[in-house]
Amino acid sequence: MQRLLRLGKRVNVRGWLVVVLVALLAEVAIQLFELHDSVSPPSETLPALGEGISSGELLGALRTTLEAYLGGLALAIVVGVLFGVLIGSSRLLLDASFVVLEFLRPIPAVALIPLAFLFFGTGTEMRRYIVAYAAVWPILVNTLYGVRGSDRILHEVALASGVSRLGRLVRVTLPAALPSIATGIRVSASIGLLVAVTAEFFFGSAGIGAYMHRQQLAFQLPEMYAAVLLTALLGYTVNVALRLTERRVIHWSGEERFRWP
Amino acid sequence: MFAGAFVVWEIWAGAEESFLAPQASEVLARAWEMWPTRAFLTEVAGSLKQLAAGFVIGAAIGIAIGLVMGTSLAARRALDPLIELARATPPIAIVPALLLTLGFGDSMRIAVIAFGVCFPVLINTVEGVRSVSPEARDTASMLHVGRAERVFRIYLPAALPSIVAGLRVALSIGLVLVVISEFAGEGGGLGHYILDQQGQFAYPEMYAGILFLGLLGYGLNLLFRFAERRVLAWHYGAAGERAR
Amino acid sequence: MSGLGKRYSTHGPAALTGVTFDVERGELLALVGPSGCGKTTLLRLLCGLTSPTEGTVLLDGRPVTKPPREVALVFQDYSRSLFPWLTVIRNVMFPLRRVGLSRAGKIERAEAVLGEMGLHGVARKYPWELSGGMQQRVAIARALVSRPELLLLDEPFASVDALTRAELQDVLLRVHRDVEGRRVTIVHVTHDIDEAVYLADRVLVLSPGPGRVASSVEIGLPRPRTQTVTRSSTRFLDVRNAIHDVISAQQRSTITTSFEKE
Repeated sequence: MQRLLRLGKRVNVRGWLVVVLVALLAEVAIQLFELHDSVSPPSETLPALGEGISSGELLGALRTTLEAYLGGLALAIVVGVLFGVLIGSSRLLLDASFVVLEFLRPIPAVALIPLAFLFFGTGTEMRRYIVAYAAVWPILVNTLYGVRGSDRILHEVALASGVSRLGRLVRVTLPAALPSIATGIRVSASIGLLVAVTAEFFFGSAGIGAYMHRQQLAFQLPEMYAAVLLTALLGYTVNVALRLTERRVIHWSGEERFRWP
Repeated sequence: MFAGAFVVWEIWAGAEESFLAPQASEVLARAWEMWPTRAFLTEVAGSLKQLAAGFVIGAAIGIAIGLVMGTSLAARRALDPLIELARATPPIAIVPALLLTLGFGDSMRIAVIAFGVCFPVLINTVEGVRSVSPEARDTASMLHVGRAERVFRIYLPAALPSIVAGLRVALSIGLVLVVISEFAGEGGGLGHYILDQQGQFAYPEMYAGILFLGLLGYGLNLLFRFAERRVLAWHYGAAGERAR
Repeated sequence: MSGLGKRYSTHGPAALTGVTFDVERGELLALVGPSGCGKTTLLRLLCGLTSPTEGTVLLDGRPVTKPPREVALVFQDYSRSLFPWLTVIRNVMFPLRRVGLSRAGKIERAEAVLGEMGLHGVARKYPWELSGGMQQRVAIARALVSRPELLLLDEPFASVDALTRAELQDVLLRVHRDVEGRRVTIVHVTHDIDEAVYLADRVLVLSPGPGRVASSVEIGLPRPRTQTVTRSSTRFLDVRNAIHDVISAQQRSTITTSFEKE
C-alpha cells in the first residue's frame, strides 16, 4: 500500500485526467456529429484494442515491429557512437567527412525505402536497415558534439596521469560525452519508431504499420485506431523508459563532471 | 571526400553490374537531363509549397501552445501526458485518419506536416521560456510588465534561440513528412516521383530523384542557417562573449 | 522622520527575523553582512518582489505589496538582467513604454541618462559588446530613466574588477548627489565593508543565521567624497574597523555555536 501511494505521487494525475477528458470530449463530438465514417470513437476503439491484444494479433504485429525497430536502433547506436567518437577525436577526419555527412544527413530515410526495397525486399531486415539509417544521425551528431565539447582540462588530467590513448577515449571522452549521447538516443528512438511504422505501412506485410494499413483498406476503423493508440503508447513508454535509465546512469550530469579518477 | 564517395559509388556499381544499382555516371547524366525540366521542377515546387504551408501552421501552433505551457506550471502539468502521447504517435499513423477526413489532396498532406512540425517546436519553446533568467523575470516584475506583454516582449525574444533550434529540427521532419505524405496520397510531388520511378523500374531516375532530395534538404538547411544568423545576431554575440 | 520609511520583521523559514529600520528620504543606506545573512531577501522585500511572513514594509506610510512604481532595482548580474536582444538605447527606454512621451522624447531622455552615466555613443550597440563596467552603467541608467524615488542595488559591483568598481562607486555617488536637484534615496547591498563606508550616510550591519540587524552605524564623513582623500581619513578607518569588528564578533559566535553543537 505504501508503494502504491508513493507511485501515486509521482504519476501526474492531473495530466492523465486531461487525457481522459479529451477522450470523453472526442466521444461526445464523434457521436454528436456522426463522424463514424472517418473516426472511431473511444467507445469502439478501446474494445477493439482489448480484442486485438487478447487475440494476440496486435501483439504479434507489435513483436514484428519491435524486431525491426529495436534491432535498427541498436545498430544505429553502435555505429553512431563508434563513428562519432572516431570522427570527433580527429580534426582531420572531421574536416574530411563534414561535407558528406551534411549531405547525407538531410536525406529522409523514408525516401530511401524504395531503394532499400530493391536490395532487401520487404522483410524485417530491410526495415531494420532503414530504421538504423534514420536513427544513426541524431546519435552520430550528438556523439560528435559530446566528444568535441568535453573539457580540455579533463583530457589534460588524463594525459598527465599517463593513461593510454585508448584508455583516455574510454574513460574520459566517452563518459563526458554521455549526456549528449543520451539525448541523441532519445531523439533517435522516436525517429526510429516513426520510420519503422512508416516502412511497414507502405512496404510491409507484418508489423503494426502494415496492420494499420490493412485495417484502413478494409475500412475497419476501430481496429485501425486501436493500432494507432498502441503505437502511441509504445512510443510513450519507450521515451519514459529511456528517461528513467538516463537519470540512473547519468545521475551526475547536472553536477560537476570532474569525477576523476 | 565528397568526390571520393562518388568514385567509390562508380567503381562499386560498375563491379556489381546489377541493373538495380546503376552507375554514378549514369545517374548523374540522367539527373543532368531531368533536373532542369519543367515537369520535374513543378513537382518539386508542389512539394515545397506544401512543406511551407505545413511548416508555418505547425510552427505557429507549436509556439503558441509552447508559450502557454512555458509560462504556466499548471498548464504544463496538465497537458504533459497528452502532448507526450501525441508526440509519440508516428505521423504515418494519423495519415489514414486524415485520409478519411480530409481526402487525398493537399490539405491532408499539409495537416500531416503540421502535426509532425509542431512537436519539436513546442518542446523547444517550452524549454526556451523556462530558461529565462530569474533576473529578467524580476526585471519584468519591477517594470510592471503585464502578463500578456511579458509573453511577447520578454519570454518570446528570450526563448527565440531555443525556438529556432526547434524550427531547424522541425524543418527536417517536415521534409520527411512531405515525402511520406506523398507516398500515401495523390497529387504529385518529389516523393511521389521517386516512388513512381521505382514502380516503373526507372532506377537512374529514381536515384536522381533521391539525390535531388538530399540536395534540397542541404539547401534548405543552409538557407535556414543563413536566416538564423541574421535574426539571432544578438544571441551569437552574447553567447560568444559568455564563452570567453 | 520625513518621507520614506521601511519596517518589517520576519520572513520565510527564518531567513530574516525581527528586522526593523527606517530609511530617511534622500539617504544613502548601505547594508553589509557576510553571505547568508539575508541581504538579498531583505532587498526583495523592500521592492515588493516578495512579501514578508511577519511585519510590513511601508513606503511613505503605504504598505508595499507589489513592486511600487517609484522603486527601481539593479542586479548584480547585469548580463542576465539586461535584455540581450535589445540595443542599449532600447534597453534603457524599456521602462518608458507606458510613459506618455513621444518617441523622440523617450530617446532624448534615455540618451540624457546614459550621458549622466558617462556613456556616450553606445546607444546602438548591444549589451554584450560593452565591457562589464559599461553594462552595469547601462543597467543603472535603465533603473534611473523612470526617475525613481528609491533605488535599490543588490551587490551591483561584485561582478566587476577592482578598478571598475572604484569608478562605478563614484558614479553612484554622483547619481545620489545630483539627480535633477532631488536626492534619490538609495539602499545599497554589499559584502564589501570599505565600499559601504565609502558610499553611505549610514550602514546597517546584518548578521546571519537567521538575518537580523546587528547594529546601525552613522558614517559622518563629509561629502563630496573621493577615493583617495576620504579613504585615508582617520574617521574612515575608525568606522570601517568598528564595523569589521562587529562582523567578526558575529562570525566568531556563530562558529563557537556550531562547535558547541558537536
